[in-house]
Amino acid sequence: MQFTQKSREHIESCRFCWMCHHICPIGNATGLERHTARARALGLSLVAREAVEFSEDIVANVYECALCGGCVADCTTGWDPVMFTKEARLGAALDGKLPPYVLKMLANFQETGNVYRLKNENKIPDFADSDTLFFIGEDTRAMGCAKMAVQLLQKAGVDFTVLQDEPSSGYSMSFLIGAAAETKTVMEKCAATLAKYKKVICYDPADAKVMKREYKEWGITLAPEVLTFTELLADLIQSGKLPVRAQDLVFTPQDSPLLARDLEEIEPIRSILSACGEVREMFLHGKETMLAGNLIMHQYMPHVMEKVAENRWLNAKNIDAKIMVTACPAEYVLLSKTRPAGIELMKIEEVILKCL
Amino acid sequence: MTDFLFNVIATELEDAVGKENCSTKTIDKITHSVDYFWLSRMWADRGLRMPEADFVVAPKDAKETSAVLKIANYYKIPVTTWGAGGGSQGGALPVCGGIILDTKRMNKIYDINEEGMYIECGTGSIYKHVEWAANERGYATMHYPSSLTCSTVGGFLAHRGIGVCSTKYGKIDDMVMQMEVVLPNGDIIETSPVPKHAAGPDLNQIFIGSEGTLGVMTKAQMRIYAQPEERRFRGFLFQNMSDAFKAARELLQMFKPSVMRLYDEAETATLIKKIVGVEKPGAFMNLAIEGVSEMVALEEKLLLSTFKKYGAEDLGSEYGEKWWKEKITFFYPGHMMDIPQCYGTMDTIAPYDKIEKIYWAMKEAIETNFPQAQFIAHFSHWYEWGCMIYDRFIVDGKDVPQDPHEAFRLHQEIWNCGVRAALKNGGVVNDHHGVGIKLGRLMKEQYGPAMQVFEGIKKQLDPNGIMNPFKLGL
Ligand SMILES: Cc1cc2nc3c(=O)[nH]c(=O)nc-3n(C[C@H](O)[C@H](O)[C@H](O)COP(=O)(O)OP(=O)(O)OC[C@H]3O[C@@H](n4cnc5c(N)ncnc54)[C@H](O)[C@@H]3O)c2cc1C
Ligand code: SF4
Ligand code: SF4
Repeated sequence: MQFTQKSREHIESCRFCWMCHHICPIGNATGLERHTARARALGLSLVAREAVEFSEDIVANVYECALCGGCVADCTTGWDPVMFTKEARLGAALDGKLPPYVLKMLANFQETGNVYRLKNENKIPDFADSDTLFFIGEDTRAMGCAKMAVQLLQKAGVDFTVLQDEPSSGYSMSFLIGAAAETKTVMEKCAATLAKYKKVICYDPADAKVMKREYKEWGITLAPEVLTFTELLADLIQSGKLPVRAQDLVFTPQDSPLLARDLEEIEPIRSILSACGEVREMFLHGKETMLAGNLIMHQYMPHVMEKVAENRWLNAKNIDAKIMVTACPAEYVLLSKTRPAGIELMKIEEVILKCL
Repeated sequence: MTDFLFNVIATELEDAVGKENCSTKTIDKITHSVDYFWLSRMWADRGLRMPEADFVVAPKDAKETSAVLKIANYYKIPVTTWGAGGGSQGGALPVCGGIILDTKRMNKIYDINEEGMYIECGTGSIYKHVEWAANERGYATMHYPSSLTCSTVGGFLAHRGIGVCSTKYGKIDDMVMQMEVVLPNGDIIETSPVPKHAAGPDLNQIFIGSEGTLGVMTKAQMRIYAQPEERRFRGFLFQNMSDAFKAARELLQMFKPSVMRLYDEAETATLIKKIVGVEKPGAFMNLAIEGVSEMVALEEKLLLSTFKKYGAEDLGSEYGEKWWKEKITFFYPGHMMDIPQCYGTMDTIAPYDKIEKIYWAMKEAIETNFPQAQFIAHFSHWYEWGCMIYDRFIVDGKDVPQDPHEAFRLHQEIWNCGVRAALKNGGVVNDHHGVGIKLGRLMKEQYGPAMQVFEGIKKQLDPNGIMNPFKLGL
């Protein structure tokens, strides 16, 4: 496995550094030392020195990271385990060392358009054409539901369309094999399909992150303006198109790391929730948020992912939260699976619909 | 060990802690073979493999821990307890192979007891998580070492750790109430329900500092404190360290600041200049006083008048506040010493009548015997009777042999030299980082025949010698 000079520099910095030990949602869920940025870096540094092979379990360890950026955000000196972890995934792909569960997901993607090989029961109705596209995303199409979101946009009078055959943004491929040529092809295909729209509203922060950040990094031109769903909803409330009335309810936002860290979007969910009721923050919020779930990892580490979500519920319980609110479809699925008695879970669109 | 026996033991351990919590994978073995000890890092840096455990297990509680220790005792295989590997003395390294017992699955917060003012938690909890739990209810643990985010409750107890507010709130051994401990034979015991009593010797203090050689601490009740109404900082520049010691001793007879850090001239001119921005020569001292505002105001008055008597220049609060904000930045790569440098912290402690002498003796010993080494120090944990020296040696990368065995030798020689200078002048082997494999050989030099007390306890509790062999000089 050959690392770029840049990745090597980050690996060498992290391998003997213990400072972000506490922050990893995976490590906190499992208690396993190998789930720390320093452990991953140490393994890879020994691989780079040819002291150990890039063996099956070192490769597996590279897949035990949610790429949530918790460690990156915590790092005062700006070292980036997400970067070298993604590069190691690409390396595993190039060396023909991908774990069987990754190969299976890649095959699923080729055959069904999503890594889960799931076909959603919910039929998507036909929408009239528009220059604004509501992009639902791979996770929701496979196992979620965007009905309430669509209903809300219609109530607000937003003119939009939805694609029957929506392409993948490239998020799942990027997660699984990083900057591979195949990932770029998927992204380019998506950019080409989206080229005719003026605006794309991403329901899933994962797609917004890829389109807003990774396309740029990879030199892929995306013609339309990309908005996150929350960003748009906050604007619609502000401009009076969604005339919500504050209720006697207390909401606790779960910041998706994709929004809060990757896209630095923290305020919109709060402005929505404070228009609808009171906001009670979890101790770790905003940029310091903790991941509450990742559906791709749930495929191969189901119990760990459920523990990750359970830990987030524990954080919510500790501040006596009443209603946890999320804008991330993947986190919604995992939080619903693990919801304890006594706290409600709502999607952001559900909150607004309730307060209209 | 034969392959057959290996499989017998592996399956028994899997049965004890669950398959997913027992590993023989390379990644787990590598991960637990390098801790914060310079030698282990240097070894890995040179592309060598450190001694590795045969099995890595992560029990979830005392019962599972007990099952592991029973298996280990039966087969007579070593058990090394691993918290987060943040220890700098190689205490958690499985130097004889065998089992690594990682405590981090024992990370449950069982009780936040606001009446008794403690948090009961698994000892595998990272201390920062305990702090979060306290903060969520408006309290604080007041244990703020630079490794708050990367070391466990059990690790701090095992090494007698210390945080930056120790002068007011104490060391980790002052912060613990009751503990649950699994003895090497697998028995689960509880120490006295309170830390202050006359019901015989203090069981807590037998296990605190024992570095995994006498058993595994599995649960602990750690004290919490009310958040201070106010925390005020003040920086001072003394003309020399002697004046600072006199001023500090006088102050401590009146009240206890929380933070109290005196930097020698060398550290003031390097690290402090770089991070906090103090430009003038002298010995910089940074203090924080905290608590109820009215008391803080009075303490500040006493502080200013006392330090004035000893010619300290008042630098105001800005430096202290900056230091507080940046206090852990020093430890991130890029700010911290790192390989290829060779370095170490030789913290020791002594009463005021000896402390300065120890400082000069250690400085001279290191600088004359190892002219390639730089010696810097600060004094950061203070008592009415004395204080701790946090002295470091740093050898520039270009002067560190590339050959790992030679680098190893240089490291050991510097340590022997520095610690012996401390011992000769009334210091101790270590103040708060512990002993581990790094300093085990020097324990007998400090304790002499008193060492038989530790050896006797060890022999009684761990007759097969399975618990963390070669650590603590046992
Ligand atoms: C960046 C950095 C800064 C540091 N700053 C400080 C500081 O300011 N103050 C300070 O005091 N220390 C500091 N240290 C040192 C380190 O944090 C302490 O030594 C800490 O006690 C190590 O805890 P750990 O959980 O990482 O233990 P480990 O390194 O895993 O283990 C240390 C020893 O404790 C034993 N042990 C661990 N858990 C248990 C248990 N439950 N029962 C029995 N034995 C056990 C192990 O066998 C081993 O001998 C620093 C370290 C780092 C990396
Ligand atoms: S990301 Fe930063 S804090 Fe985490 S291991 Fe790397 S250098 Fe240390
Ligand atoms: S990116 Fe997230 S999951 Fe991965 S090591 Fe960092 S904190 Fe853990």
